[in-house]
Amino acid sequence: MRVSGAGNILLWGLPADPPIMAVRDALQRAGRRVTLLDQQTVADTEVQLVVGPTVEGRVRVKEETFDLAAVNAAYLRPYDAREFPEVARAGQDSELWQHALALQDILLSWADLTPALVLNRPSHMAVNGSKPYQASWIESHGFRIPDTLITTDPDAALEFWRQHDRVIYKSVSGIRSIVSRLTARHLQRFDNIASCPTQFQQYVPGTEYRVHVVGEEIFACTVVSEADDYRYSTEPVDMQACDLPDEVAARSRTLAAAMNLFLAGLDLRCTPEGEWYCFEVNPSPAFTCFEQRTRQPIAEAVARLLACGANGSGLASAKKYAPQPEFRCAK
Amino acid sequence: MIVIVANRWDQTPKAIVSRWGEHNVGVVTASDLSLAGWLQHSNGADQGTAVIGRKLVPQEEITGVLTLLPCVFEEELVEIAPEDRSYVAAEMTAFLLFWLSRLQSQCLVLNRPTPSCLSGPCWRREKWIHAAAQAGIPVQPLRRHAALPVSAEEEATPSSATVTVVGKCIFGEVEDDLQRQARRLADMVGVELLAVRFSGPERGASFVSADSLPDFSDDGLADAVLAYLRDGPAKCA
Repeated sequence: MRVSGAGNILLWGLPADPPIMAVRDALQRAGRRVTLLDQQTVADTEVQLVVGPTVEGRVRVKEETFDLAAVNAAYLRPYDAREFPEVARAGQDSELWQHALALQDILLSWADLTPALVLNRPSHMAVNGSKPYQASWIESHGFRIPDTLITTDPDAALEFWRQHDRVIYKSVSGIRSIVSRLTARHLQRFDNIASCPTQFQQYVPGTEYRVHVVGEEIFACTVVSEADDYRYSTEPVDMQACDLPDEVAARSRTLAAAMNLFLAGLDLRCTPEGEWYCFEVNPSPAFTCFEQRTRQPIAEAVARLLACGANGSGLASAKKYAPQPEFRCAK
Repeated sequence: MIVIVANRWDQTPKAIVSRWGEHNVGVVTASDLSLAGWLQHSNGADQGTAVIGRKLVPQEEITGVLTLLPCVFEEELVEIAPEDRSYVAAEMTAFLLFWLSRLQSQCLVLNRPTPSCLSGPCWRREKWIHAAAQAGIPVQPLRRHAALPVSAEEEATPSSATVTVVGKCIFGEVEDDLQRQARRLADMVGVELLAVRFSGPERGASFVSADSLPDFSDDGLADAVLAYLRDGPAKCA
């Protein structure tokens, strides 16, 4: 059995996941030692975590073992282990299923407790689990948010639609949903609104921007698409690298930092009147599709940030315990 | 009105409402979230409306909240089609996080919700142990292990003494030193309602775990929570 210090930088996810691949390649080009913990090797992976005043542990994959305490920086892109074909086939009552869940839970726990720089800690990513909750954060850091109604009242939703003329609806939770514009064909389903709080937003016209914040670095691009939600567009989507006004760039950095996110993808829109709206902050952005089209070196920046953490530059000092007591949702 | 947010199958709210008999108390469960009437507007033009115990309640009438559930579970959603329950549970949980956070600006919410749990920090045991150690409280390290073949995880250290913190009040038949430790942990984490378990009631006992959803079988705790929500954090029942 070989025991290593993990090369100080740990990547956890799937080797074929484009952001993981891009960051691993960038780290290797920079001559950094990197350990990729492949989630697919779940049956061959063992983990041990010991938590007291310190956080220690080790991970063994087949004959290779590494020390979790020696990891100084980590980039996480884990998928739900229950969805892996091998685990799903084994079924809920299988030992493999139980093991996969335990493994995932222990590593997530480590990621929340380690003093290493983690992009991003699971507890900090959780803000993205509620869009209106996150919107309150966004608004409190100077961005505009669209007029929003969350309701179980079909009549109130109709009135909101009349008031704004163009309205979109989307999930309240972090579950990925296609942002859609309300049309007459939705009217027949309006009574379903009473079953569950549903989120409606005024449509905000303007130029769409995707902004990736990587530590202190900012990568912005415009996104031009005819679709309500460009992520699902069947038509061509045009992306062009661009600079943000200094104040907007600073606001983006501040917002990501306030959320303790060292890596974040912000969806912004600038109206013809020059007002900047922020719709969402993604704490685990799949940045490679933007990088490929804009040639912006985002993976290089992520690798630099991880290397910085591995060198012990103190970037990991994000609050681990305090639940941001100063924060209050805007009324 | 004091509002209790709870799982529809939980009997605890019923006992608390009975204990708080003379006060105006309502219980919100997932079934209320499947009724027309909820209105939450981002621009604050109106205060909003809630559905509490199947009745419409203007939000401004809410004077305090006790949250007794970490999230909405899909098993509660018997009125929802089975294939939609998982999604609806996530949507309702996300909505409640927003609503409870927003209520903090008008009244006391016990506990304040966190993005990963509606009733405060519902942490794994190892995170509580690490936090307690950072607060200078003696702990027994916890070992977790996952390997195939699966074996039972390490048995939890048995706890034989519990201290419960409610605002400035502390309950529990333990040495003063342990009460101070429980207070220190609650302050560090920023939580107002916390059950802290120790290996024993004596001085020198070690921290075992903590829970932001304490056991309400003790009437004294229900009284203290009522006093907190009615009179503010500074007073004890």
